[in-house]
Amino acid sequence: MTMQDTRRPADPALDALDTRILGEVAEMLREVIGEEYVVDMEITMDTSFNEDLELESIEFVTLADRMRVTYGDMVDFVGFLAEMDVDRVINMRVGEVVRFIADSLRAHEPAPGA
Amino acid sequence: MAEVVANGVRLHVQRLAPAGGPRPDAPVVVMLHGMVIDNLASFYFSLGNALADAGCEVVCYDLRGHGKSERTPSGYGIANAMADLTALLDELGIDRPVHLVGNSYGATLGLTYGVEHAERVASLTLIEPPFRIEGLGEEMARSLTQVLAAISDEEVEEWLAFSAGRAVGRIMRSAQSLLRDTTISEDMLATTPFSPDRLRTLPVPVLAVYGGNSEIIEQGEGLANLVPDCTLVVLEHHTHMVLREAVDYLRELLRWWLLRRDEPIPVHEFRGGKTFELADWVLNRTVPTDLNAERRAAEATPAGATSQAPAASGASAGVSGES
Repeated sequence: MTMQDTRRPADPALDALDTRILGEVAEMLREVIGEEYVVDMEITMDTSFNEDLELESIEFVTLADRMRVTYGDMVDFVGFLAEMDVDRVINMRVGEVVRFIADSLRAHEPAPGA
Repeated sequence: MAEVVANGVRLHVQRLAPAGGPRPDAPVVVMLHGMVIDNLASFYFSLGNALADAGCEVVCYDLRGHGKSERTPSGYGIANAMADLTALLDELGIDRPVHLVGNSYGATLGLTYGVEHAERVASLTLIEPPFRIEGLGEEMARSLTQVLAAISDEEVEEWLAFSAGRAVGRIMRSAQSLLRDTTISEDMLATTPFSPDRLRTLPVPVLAVYGGNSEIIEQGEGLANLVPDCTLVVLEHHTHMVLREAVDYLRELLRWWLLRRDEPIPVHEFRGGKTFELADWVLNRTVPTDLNAERRAAEATPAGATSQAPAASGASAGVSGES
């Protein structure tokens, strides 16, 4: 948690983007899992897909599908997942996915002053 | 979730393409996963995204009864699997010949499709296909019956209830239900034997991959001896679970096979095995006697410890594992 916090960008606008995406991804996760135990679970950047959510690999496929629909071509999930194996994917924390999405969206926004 | 109704069955399909979309002449690759304890996720995470990222147009789908596809009460014979695939390609508007990539029983399905519909197939990649001319259906049916027995006793129920965890539990419950509530095992008996004459004239290039320590390695030699254009790759030290064990090499091998076959074939270097979260004893069809021993011991003493299924090596024909 501490390490991740120190790596977070200092720009408050980016934190807001992170926060928005975290909320959206958490909602998608609750829908994909669809079981009681996640309804009231607090899903944070540090939540593990494997240990905390006990996500089955095909549920991650459904999550990725929903994220692709939500964020469109600006986020290259194929490229993100291309070099990972299933254990690497399932052992990720939610924050890793959220940051990837945020970075991808930010890369498509016009640079300030440009 | 992408759903396509093909041959009257609702199939879960995931199409993957490189960023910006595939080139018009990009290879179309269709993945066929293994039976019962498997679904499209195994290919999605091993080769699907990797090959799409390399420029291919990839189709992963759950075979009927598996993953998130419709679980029909019957219709699991190989003839229906062929009809499902043809209808799926038609529904997706894919009229170019496709590169089929199958694992375990999915590879047997791919080979059958290549024999029966060679005009729709550009190449076959067969990873650990159970292959024999006579008795394949009987072997598959026997294998599935043994898997059901292995996952049906009280020890397994106790392990599922207390120790297996949610993800593995869901996979095992789904496998139990597929084997108990559908005709999948008996449908295997209707498998028509391969025709040696048709295999000898198969007009499709075949890449066959086996683990050097696989129980069915000798079946690969039989296949390579029959099929005219067959590249047989044996990965030393690996098992029937080679798709999980050697994913980095298989990504390299498939990029070579699909995109730059005029270059030399990539050399395999053993980089160590992998452990699996899914209990290997299921694939081995033998439930360990001490499956719940650790948890019971932990309950009897104040110190809490969680039980895990002992890992074992080995595999069964046609049944693939995924967690």
